[in-house]
Amino acid sequence: MRATAPKTHGPDLASLLSYGDIFDRRHCYIAGMALIDVSDLTKIFRRPQKRPGLLGSFRHLIERRFTDHVAVDHLNLSVERGEAVAYVGPNGAGKSTTVKMLTGILVPTSGDIRVAGLTPHRDRVTNARNIGVVFGQRTQLWWDLPVRDSLELLRDMHGIPEARFRRTVERLDAVLKLTEILPSTARRLSLGQRMRADLAAALIHEPAIVYLDEPTIGLDIAVKDQVRAFVKQLIAEGTTVMLTTHDLGDIEDICHRIVILDEGRLLYDGDLQAVKDNYARERTMHFQVATPITDPAALAVRLPGATITRGDSDREIAVTFDRLAIAAGDVLSAVFEHAEVVEVEIDEAAIEHVVRKVYAGELKLAAQRAKEAA
Amino acid sequence: MTLPLDAGRTVNVPFRAYRRLALAALRSLTAYPMSFAFSMLASAFSALAMLYLWRAVLSNGRASSGFDWPHMKAYLLVTFVANSLVSAYTDYQMCLRIRQGDIAMDLIRPLDYQRARFAEACGFGLYEAGAGIGAVAVATLIFGGLPAPSLRSFGLFLLSAVFVLPLRFGIVYTSGLVTFWTQNYVGVQAARIALVTFLSGSLVPLAFFPGWLRVIAGAAPFAGMASTPALIFGGQLQGAAALRAVGVQAVWTVALWLLARAFWLRASRQLTVNGG
Repeated sequence: MRATAPKTHGPDLASLLSYGDIFDRRHCYIAGMALIDVSDLTKIFRRPQKRPGLLGSFRHLIERRFTDHVAVDHLNLSVERGEAVAYVGPNGAGKSTTVKMLTGILVPTSGDIRVAGLTPHRDRVTNARNIGVVFGQRTQLWWDLPVRDSLELLRDMHGIPEARFRRTVERLDAVLKLTEILPSTARRLSLGQRMRADLAAALIHEPAIVYLDEPTIGLDIAVKDQVRAFVKQLIAEGTTVMLTTHDLGDIEDICHRIVILDEGRLLYDGDLQAVKDNYARERTMHFQVATPITDPAALAVRLPGATITRGDSDREIAVTFDRLAIAAGDVLSAVFEHAEVVEVEIDEAAIEHVVRKVYAGELKLAAQRAKEAA
Repeated sequence: MTLPLDAGRTVNVPFRAYRRLALAALRSLTAYPMSFAFSMLASAFSALAMLYLWRAVLSNGRASSGFDWPHMKAYLLVTFVANSLVSAYTDYQMCLRIRQGDIAMDLIRPLDYQRARFAEACGFGLYEAGAGIGAVAVATLIFGGLPAPSLRSFGLFLLSAVFVLPLRFGIVYTSGLVTFWTQNYVGVQAARIALVTFLSGSLVPLAFFPGWLRVIAGAAPFAGMASTPALIFGGQLQGAAALRAVGVQAVWTVALWLLARAFWLRASRQLTVNGG
């Protein structure tokens, strides 16, 4: 689990100044505290327990039974200013519930949340000024108004001066190609257009923290790429981003840190590259050769630790190896010694495999093992 | 493009934001003119039925419980406009958004939830009042003119009319919040409409009620939602009694607003947003 202790670098003058207005409002912002600080956060939903059938429904009216469903279970998390965090987990893991508590929509059952010194559900309106939110399955646009009017409404709500508003729209337009969608009403937009408009709506007040909850859901590859490029740019500009997604392609080149959640509990919190180095080291090279390899055993000796498997035909072989132990070049030259290579294909271990294994319970990450040992 | 957190912006949401929200609500209604026309037609027919019914009852030229035909006509038309305010849009939309979880999108805006809904109710109200007054103009062409109130009565009437929308909003908004518990609004809405229609005197003037019920209805917030302005318009409520009735309206307006706020605090803890 990631340590929540203060980082070695204290807040610089600029970030202290930017927190000035929080001091003014006497919110207890402590210097050095993380931008998002979650401790022991728990959310329990009460669900009616109905017996099957019509009779069961009637019985529920008289004899009400409920079961408690723990959506988020004693979660600890801390995010520094400017970090890009991927928040992943299977359906029902509690990702969205966490985001809804961080944005002040849901009230936690217990535990503590601080976002820029504010408690979101108590200071919801003030917190809303600091954050931008996109829920991929919902829209915050006014359904019957042109997108431009929706943005202007948000301008008035956030009290953005006209000049700055126009500058921001221009900047967003450059990346999100808003010009074509500004005049049409939200209900006439395609899913891809709507998502671009929703991103613009979430960012029109230039929030310091952005929560993206499945921002690429249902989008085609081209729009997905646009959205990803846009999020990357946001992060480069210093925005703190928390990205919830099922699409692991979203996170791989966007986030440096990954938090894996399952059944409301934290499974892993750490460096994305470290996860890959530790758990996604397997690399497979597929070879198509001109003539069948005569002596596979000799090849195996040449590449200790690698697994050599035959493909569908005797002209196909696959070499699976630890990419940190053996270099791809070594594998290549070893195979060249034994056969005439026609075609090579490399399967890179993706974070996707790791996460899938974690979901399936096949892989226990270090943090998890430590927890069970304790 | 990242700015310092919340830099240089006041915590108070500018009034302009709520005004824009009201206008947005008004505009969203104009997006569906046919739907609005049909709902107006439905309520115009029920008003028409009431007018014919009372004309038949009072056809012998005698007054009943202080109402003769011209005064009853004025009473019915004023309550018709009052009833068309905060009709169904506010709670319908609220409940739909609560049920479908779109309320999440309302809560990420830097707006007070109750004030925002009130702003929208005002926007809808402009449209509803406009259409209602238009329908009344048509009705007076069919049924003949209304007794003109005195200037003093008319002034008090306008004052009293101002409270109709916030009073109705208080009830509609609070009953809409029940969706947080029930997840279904149909029954709650039907009960609310029945209660308000009956106790506000828009079905039968309160003067026709038995004494004890009249006292209860007069002290409850409901009379102020239709009966009070209608009686002041017709001149049946005058002087100190009229002022007292407007005072009751004012007190209930504030009380309902605060009650609704307290209710919201409980309701928002009940919130479950399912599915993404």
